[in-house]
Amino acid sequence: MTGLIVRRLLLLPFILMVIYTVTFCLAWLIPGNPLESGEGRRPPPEIVDAMLAQYKLDSPWTFYWDYLGKASGVAWVLGSAEKPFDFGPSLTHKDWTVNEILAAGLPVSMTLGLMAILLACGIGLTAGVIGGVRPGSFVDLATLVVALIGVSLPSFVIGASLLIVFGVWLKVLPVGGWGGVSHAILPAVTLALPFAAYIARLTRFGMIDEMNADYIRTARAKGVAEWRVVIKHALKNAALPVLSFLGPAAAMAMTGSFVVEKIFAVPGIGTHFVNAVLGKDLTLIMGVVLAYSTILIVFNLVVDVAYRWVDPRI
Amino acid sequence: MKLLAPLLALVVALAAAIWLDDTPPRADLVYVNVSEVFTLDPQRMTWMQDLRMAYCLYEGLARWNNDDFTVEAAGADWTISDDRRTYTFTLRPDARWSNGDPVTAHDFVYAWRRAILPDTAAQYSSLFMLIDGAETFFRWRTRALADFAREAEGLDTTQRRDRARALWDETDAMFAATVGLHATGDHTLRVTLARPTPYFLDLVAFGVFCPVHRPTVEGWVVDEATTARFRESGWADVGPPPWPDRRFVSLDPDTGRFRQRHVWTKPGRLVGNGPYVLTDWRYKRGLYIERNPLYHTPDLVRSETVACVSIEDVNTAVLAFESGRIDWLTDVSVEYQGDLLAQRNAYEARYASEIAAGLSAGRTLDETLAGLPAPTRGQRRNIHVLPTFGTDFYSFNCRPKLGDGRTNPFADAAVRRAFVQSVDKALIVRNVTRLDEPVATSLVPPGSIPGYTPPAGLAYDAAGARQQLAAAGWSDRDGDGLVEDANGELFPVVDLLYSTNGTRYRNISLALRDMWQRELGVRVELRGKESKFFREDLRQGNFMIGRGGWYGDYGDPTTFLDLCRTGDGNNVRGFSNQRVDALLNRAADEPDPRARFEVLAECERLLVTEEVPMLVLCQYVQLYMYEPGRLTGLSRHPRLTQYLWKMKADR
Repeated sequence: MTGLIVRRLLLLPFILMVIYTVTFCLAWLIPGNPLESGEGRRPPPEIVDAMLAQYKLDSPWTFYWDYLGKASGVAWVLGSAEKPFDFGPSLTHKDWTVNEILAAGLPVSMTLGLMAILLACGIGLTAGVIGGVRPGSFVDLATLVVALIGVSLPSFVIGASLLIVFGVWLKVLPVGGWGGVSHAILPAVTLALPFAAYIARLTRFGMIDEMNADYIRTARAKGVAEWRVVIKHALKNAALPVLSFLGPAAAMAMTGSFVVEKIFAVPGIGTHFVNAVLGKDLTLIMGVVLAYSTILIVFNLVVDVAYRWVDPRI
Repeated sequence: MKLLAPLLALVVALAAAIWLDDTPPRADLVYVNVSEVFTLDPQRMTWMQDLRMAYCLYEGLARWNNDDFTVEAAGADWTISDDRRTYTFTLRPDARWSNGDPVTAHDFVYAWRRAILPDTAAQYSSLFMLIDGAETFFRWRTRALADFAREAEGLDTTQRRDRARALWDETDAMFAATVGLHATGDHTLRVTLARPTPYFLDLVAFGVFCPVHRPTVEGWVVDEATTARFRESGWADVGPPPWPDRRFVSLDPDTGRFRQRHVWTKPGRLVGNGPYVLTDWRYKRGLYIERNPLYHTPDLVRSETVACVSIEDVNTAVLAFESGRIDWLTDVSVEYQGDLLAQRNAYEARYASEIAAGLSAGRTLDETLAGLPAPTRGQRRNIHVLPTFGTDFYSFNCRPKLGDGRTNPFADAAVRRAFVQSVDKALIVRNVTRLDEPVATSLVPPGSIPGYTPPAGLAYDAAGARQQLAAAGWSDRDGDGLVEDANGELFPVVDLLYSTNGTRYRNISLALRDMWQRELGVRVELRGKESKFFREDLRQGNFMIGRGGWYGDYGDPTTFLDLCRTGDGNNVRGFSNQRVDALLNRAADEPDPRARFEVLAECERLLVTEEVPMLVLCQYVQLYMYEPGRLTGLSRHPRLTQYLWKMKADR
């Protein structure tokens, strides 16, 4: 286990370096100039030159190495930068550094993603168990249909509908923004639904398989209570595929919430993936990509370690 | 069950994260920006939402009277010399920064110098080039920096630092010697302009001309005795501390540049002189301001606290307004805006006679609407269309050759006129954009600049358009419905370029294509591009007709007409006409405002009736959402500068 962790952590800088280089090349090729704002309005060429020089954008080569040094902390070690892991100022949000933007947005995105995953587990496992215990029953059919809808409806439809019902008609939950539980409910539910649906289906099929297994019959023959059979014996094994789905799902929930964050005006980091690219905000693109890559790699490692811990056979 | 403990820990952490992250209580006035506020540093502002904040947190030398857009005194009185080149401003002696320091003329000199310095790279620095010597200074400093970078290569860091400081001292002296901007006393500012500029006061009222507090911007570290002296007579008497004690600025030893870390605009640090102070600014969440207790005229402020909430998605923003938590929505560019407007029109049609009666009794439209019964289903009175200081147009490529080397048919003004006259603009605003924008034939929006009446341009005349095209040598000679020249060559397929952000320009372009194909017998091909690519094509002249549009910056026709000057940075059309240039130059040297407007009107007449480098469609409109009668203090003048301190929401 220690070997696995050390190996993965040693690989991390190399993977990040490759990601940085590829992202940089792609981002640099975006046409236009990140420092020009507005549609069509063009500042005088001298000002454009001054701005490019100010952000060291006049040559890709110097920018590449300068940014790499500052972002990796090498420049700090060598004493030419004030602090390590400095992703520089954002080119479009002039008063903010990329570090500030990440510090403001990452916790929000991660909170929302984790909430959604917990919700999804709760809803999905319950629905899956109820359906899987009595396959073919009305309850089973109902959960299947709901799951199908959950998987196939895009989140902007669910999100907008929830907003209209709970925000505008019933006026019980706020529309847009972040802060306090009331703001988090609708986006978390919207984000959770597709995952919940998938987990429900996984659990249901697992349960159907397990409930027919020999050890279940033995347990029942021993006189174990039915709920104990379902929860302690069958679910424990039926939930294993769910666990392997949770790794990528959690990563997806915390990174891929662009649509949900936009609809609910959640001040997370997801919208930057798109907006930074559209605005050619080089420093922000790099910062977001590097931060997320690091988190994803670490997260995958955590899931792998958790696996071995939960099920030593793997 | 091994999982239970970590799971519980996770749930507790999540709950804590959400509980602790709470929102401040609702402000007296809440409005939504669809776009984020980008900066609170006035000299580096370019966006409308940023400038709106500048007018709250800072106070310039002048401000506009929102209703008829004349300039009035904010913190100053002024005298203008007879040749209209020297403006002497006298500042209010009782004006204070929000930390208690007096506002002096030195603050203005410092702020304007920041804007002029190439090191700051302020996008609006060109506006400051009207000041005598500013351009000379700008070019001198740019060249000096280039020389510095070249010479610095052979030096070690200490030598570079010394040289950078020497250059900075030289820059200080150069600025004082060349630029016509002087604090002749603590409360007297004398500005000499390069040439007579009747609209200079209008510029001074613009947000980028607001002062900033130098010790704050530069992060001065000073002892208590010095702070007390600042409080007494301002920082200028004492002067700046040594470089290491200016935390937010430094001189870059590699380039010699004056480097600024823009960290002073955050809550707790920002010091302003406006009616409001910044209390909170959280990235992508919102910006909160409250009444400045030190402001010299407390009665001016109508709302104690104002919240500017960011909701990026317009659809959500409309829903947030519908939920009643928002007083004013500044942008309603949703896809279904046409339907919202139809509901408003239905409401107005239902109460047409009552509205007419209210207006003739001298009440405003908002007051009248507020007195009427609430809208029923399918009606609405909370959406408002306001004409702006912007003109929507399509640009003709006027260069003799196209980007790919072919001969450009639109280099001929007669062809351009034909393409303009064959467009039924009324049909476009009614059925295509569905916003009923005021149809325009001139570049400058009518009624937006006091004293200036834009000339009427070419009207819709399809038959006349065909004649124009025939006169230019293009007519249908073989009866196939398409026009060709004397050699039988078909008119080249018109390359119509537009940007694909939003559906507006795709729809307008489709309508234009149909009109030109039907009325003129030309083939038109649409080319939609993502905005960055679109702009690149426009810049390189890779188009025949391209989507354009322009918002004016200041209250003078040249803010639009300069677009047509030969070699202007925003002249993407490659248009060049000696008569237009000569008229613009004549206007620039004309001291008498009325005579100047006559010259400019003649110039615009030439542009919209003869040369037509662009097809002007309509005046842009801005859509607001607010409940009429409940929100008061909004300006309806096309400039649409909304001073938040004039606004109030009654809930």
